[in-house]
Amino acid sequence: MNAPVFQAKDYKSELKPIWCPGCGDFGVLQGLYRALSSIGRPPHEVAFISGIGCSSRIPGYTTAYGFNTVHGRSLPIAQGVKLANPELLVVVAGGDGDGFSIGGGHVPHAVRRNMDLTYLVMDNQVYGLTKGQLSPTSPRGLETVTSPFGSLEEPINPLLYMLAYGAGFVAQATPADMPGMTALIEEAIRYPGFAFVNIQSPCVTFGEDDQQLKAHKAKQKSLASLGHDPSNQLAALDLARAYGTELYTGVFYRNPSPPPTYESLVKLRQTEQAKKARPRNQILDAYLQK
Amino acid sequence: MTNRQQQTPGIDFAVLTLKDALDLAVLIEEEARDRYEELAAQLVLHRTPGAAAFFAKMVRIEELHRKQLLEERAKAFGEQPVAVRREMIFDVEAPDYDEVRSDMTTREALETALRSEEKAHRFFVSVLSHVQNPEVRKLFEELRDEEVEHQDLVKKELAKLPDDDRFARVDVGDGPAPQ
Amino acid sequence: MLDDLILGMAGAGGDGVVSAGESLLSAASSEGYHALMTKSFGSQIRGGESSCRVRLSTKKVLNPGGALDVMVALNWDDFFKFGAELPLSVDTVLIYEEKAGPPPETLKARGVVPTEVVPVAIAELTKKSAGTDKAKTSVVLGLLSGWFGIPSEAIGRGLKKKFGSKGEGLLEANEKALASGIEYARAHPLRTPHVISKPKGPPGSKMLCDGNDMCAAGALFAGVKFFGGYPITPSTEVMQTLTREIWKYGGTVLQCEDEISGIGATVGASFAGRKSMTATSGPGMDLKTEILGLATIAELPLVILNVQRGGPSTGLPTKPEQGDLYQAAFSGHGDVLRPVLAPTDVEDTFKTTVDAFNIAEQYQTPVIILSDQEIAQRKEAVDLIDTSRMEIIERRAPTEAELAEKPYARFALTESGISPISHPGMRGGTYLAAGIEHNEKGDPTSGGTMHAKMNEKRFRKLEPLKQRTDLFELSGNPKAPLALLAWGSTAGVAREAFQLATAQGHDVKLLVPYLLYPIAEQVYAGFFESVKHGLLVELSHQGQLYRMLRMFIDVPKGLKSFCRSGANPFQPAELVARLVELKGLPS
Repeated sequence: MNAPVFQAKDYKSELKPIWCPGCGDFGVLQGLYRALSSIGRPPHEVAFISGIGCSSRIPGYTTAYGFNTVHGRSLPIAQGVKLANPELLVVVAGGDGDGFSIGGGHVPHAVRRNMDLTYLVMDNQVYGLTKGQLSPTSPRGLETVTSPFGSLEEPINPLLYMLAYGAGFVAQATPADMPGMTALIEEAIRYPGFAFVNIQSPCVTFGEDDQQLKAHKAKQKSLASLGHDPSNQLAALDLARAYGTELYTGVFYRNPSPPPTYESLVKLRQTEQAKKARPRNQILDAYLQK
Repeated sequence: MTNRQQQTPGIDFAVLTLKDALDLAVLIEEEARDRYEELAAQLVLHRTPGAAAFFAKMVRIEELHRKQLLEERAKAFGEQPVAVRREMIFDVEAPDYDEVRSDMTTREALETALRSEEKAHRFFVSVLSHVQNPEVRKLFEELRDEEVEHQDLVKKELAKLPDDDRFARVDVGDGPAPQ
Repeated sequence: MLDDLILGMAGAGGDGVVSAGESLLSAASSEGYHALMTKSFGSQIRGGESSCRVRLSTKKVLNPGGALDVMVALNWDDFFKFGAELPLSVDTVLIYEEKAGPPPETLKARGVVPTEVVPVAIAELTKKSAGTDKAKTSVVLGLLSGWFGIPSEAIGRGLKKKFGSKGEGLLEANEKALASGIEYARAHPLRTPHVISKPKGPPGSKMLCDGNDMCAAGALFAGVKFFGGYPITPSTEVMQTLTREIWKYGGTVLQCEDEISGIGATVGASFAGRKSMTATSGPGMDLKTEILGLATIAELPLVILNVQRGGPSTGLPTKPEQGDLYQAAFSGHGDVLRPVLAPTDVEDTFKTTVDAFNIAEQYQTPVIILSDQEIAQRKEAVDLIDTSRMEIIERRAPTEAELAEKPYARFALTESGISPISHPGMRGGTYLAAGIEHNEKGDPTSGGTMHAKMNEKRFRKLEPLKQRTDLFELSGNPKAPLALLAWGSTAGVAREAFQLATAQGHDVKLLVPYLLYPIAEQVYAGFFESVKHGLLVELSHQGQLYRMLRMFIDVPKGLKSFCRSGANPFQPAELVARLVELKGLPS
């Protein structure tokens, strides 16, 4: 075994996370460092793009390039980054509100374009940064400051959404199982296309007791232990319906033959069109009327 | 899944050499040291000085253990390259991230450390059933027993704590602030 | 012989008058005329009424012009739907389809009745010559060629290009129709001949393009590598052109799912180090505002084209207005200084776009180009633009030596306010870009002291822009007491009004700003020094530049705002009349 060129600590920045002690995101961050170390890309070739929310602070806690953007827009911004420089390893991170509420409209389009992006959602079923309001994944009946008599809405099912939109890689993890989560993050990053990991990352301050890591430890069932075949999309859809009741971890679906990525098709088009380029000082000649 | 697989994926204890076992032990202490350091920093940032101070003390203790093991390793194997990676070790002796809370008491911090030593003890007990190399077995038995000593130390500290920790600051302090 | 000829045509969409106008424009431009065409449609996507105006000239065309010299109406209903777009005067030669019957009373009600009204049995002529009525507009082109001296060979070449590849016999039918139109015109001379002079430029020397074409071409010239956008009238053609062209130059166009992702992807690409642009119109600008703020605080170069249309909300999607200046300058929360440039015609949209990229890259800031529906969509035949002296500026990246020397501070508080910008992939240059306030290194901060310093930096770096006199066009006697100011497409009308007023002996000067914001206080102060009376002409209800000037500087008491809502274009003559009126007032 050779020592990796970059160790987990090489991805850790000097900035101290301001998350509440006990927050699930600490584990996610640690898992991310380790996954990156296994992959071994130097930090300057990695770009973390996030929106707004507790989990969206992740880019600042890495030594990679980071872009902590505006609420809900991490996916479109990340697509611009990836298309501008397809060589970069681009990871998008954020919470359930950022991804499925304010930014929900971008999700299907990011999925259908199939760029080689990894989207990590730290799903905690609550708005933490603004102090405990309903989130799009809050269970029906949840009492919060914006639902004092209980939520009247069904939650979004991020797993079903992603599978239905056609994502090539859909997984769920919890930092209660650090090695499992780390391996899933690594696998998602290595998947050549749009990869999504829903990470059940509890909010220690506003989350429900039965959603904390200790509860996860007791509750989680690995899909592998259920004998699930991750190439079976229909079985994945069926299992994903249990979101909110069961805590399945592992790969729900992994496209066994990943289609070409958007950026690889862009490259082909650029190569095929390049021969038609005009010198800069002749660009306007195209408009000459003979 | 057993603890062993969960906490040290990729390590086969049946064929583990003494060098790798020593390196593993060093890294377990290193992980614990770094974790205590991280948790202490979190608690400093969240104005929980008692628990933070105790975790800072744990940083020094784990570092001491690490150094001792490192010396042992150097004596036996000199500069030979390390084959075990830090990325292979998950929370063996390091407290889990969700052990801590803002405004936790010093007593709770000590209890966290105690649980971590117990966890480490369970780890060594669990892996010893797979270890075949007698030298490795001897090392892990020592380490297992040290965890018991550590537990006793923490328990003694706990007994010394004044009983003024009954009321949690979380019950009297300001609520969380919006960001 | 005339140096300038303005023609109008109106009919049902199926008649193809706009297509005929394009043929006319293309023929004239290939012969070396300066020419300009605007078109106007009913709100139906297909089958509504349509009209166009074509202005031909031996000199540079400054604007679509006022009253028509020639009007062709294929039927009266469709003609009357276009009031402001197709104004007649007593001197207009009004040609109409005989079958439509004599001009109705409505014409008188509009105030002017042309003295020369010529009925032609267009449909009948077409049927007779071509054997079909599907070639009506070719008869019209023949009439225009015969009566007004537009070279028929060029029109013929145009027909070949247009119909050569279409159904068999269609080209021949149109050629016959053209010939019959020419013949008819020869056999029936007009009472007053209106023949245009030969053009001065050699054939094949003119570009035929619209403002959106020139924006796309300018972007390619400046080295754009990424365009993210969402279709919206009247800016969509920029995305359409770029998506045909940009790949050749190693770039990409992403048609996004909405306006927000359009600018989002663009900001992302800029963060990744590429020259990036998006284009939109008013409603899209509304949605892009939040990310504009992000680009400002993260100091990312970005060009945003806003082709203005009538507003608010959906407003008048296909008509020009200059009502988005406040939005361009002031939209978004927080203290923001965001450069705004405005082209004034098709041709200078090219250079304005290059300027916008240069400013964006040099100062690491979003730059808004405020075009409008008229210049964006009017087709013009203009001289080939000389690009040999146009400079291209690239953003200042830290050198390897700088990165090796000391820890990289992305937002270093330098004297100029500009700090070298790294991009992902650059070793040693990693940093956190963010919407949250940051310190010099890029780490988040909520401290007031650092926030003040960073705001100051972001404003300071743009100070030199205000000294850019090359972004202002000044004509006439610098000491003149009478002044005319206009920006955007209105400037074309003001230029002609300035020429008219000067010819009438008025001591007048003209200022056309291309840089609208920040307000270049010194440039305006210098200009206003001699001014006793003046007009600032704008196509918006409020007169937004006038009010913005008063916000930043003291304007002469005699400077008046002359403004009105969009879709009511100004005419040169009315500006002159207003100027003359002003002269009589005490200053």
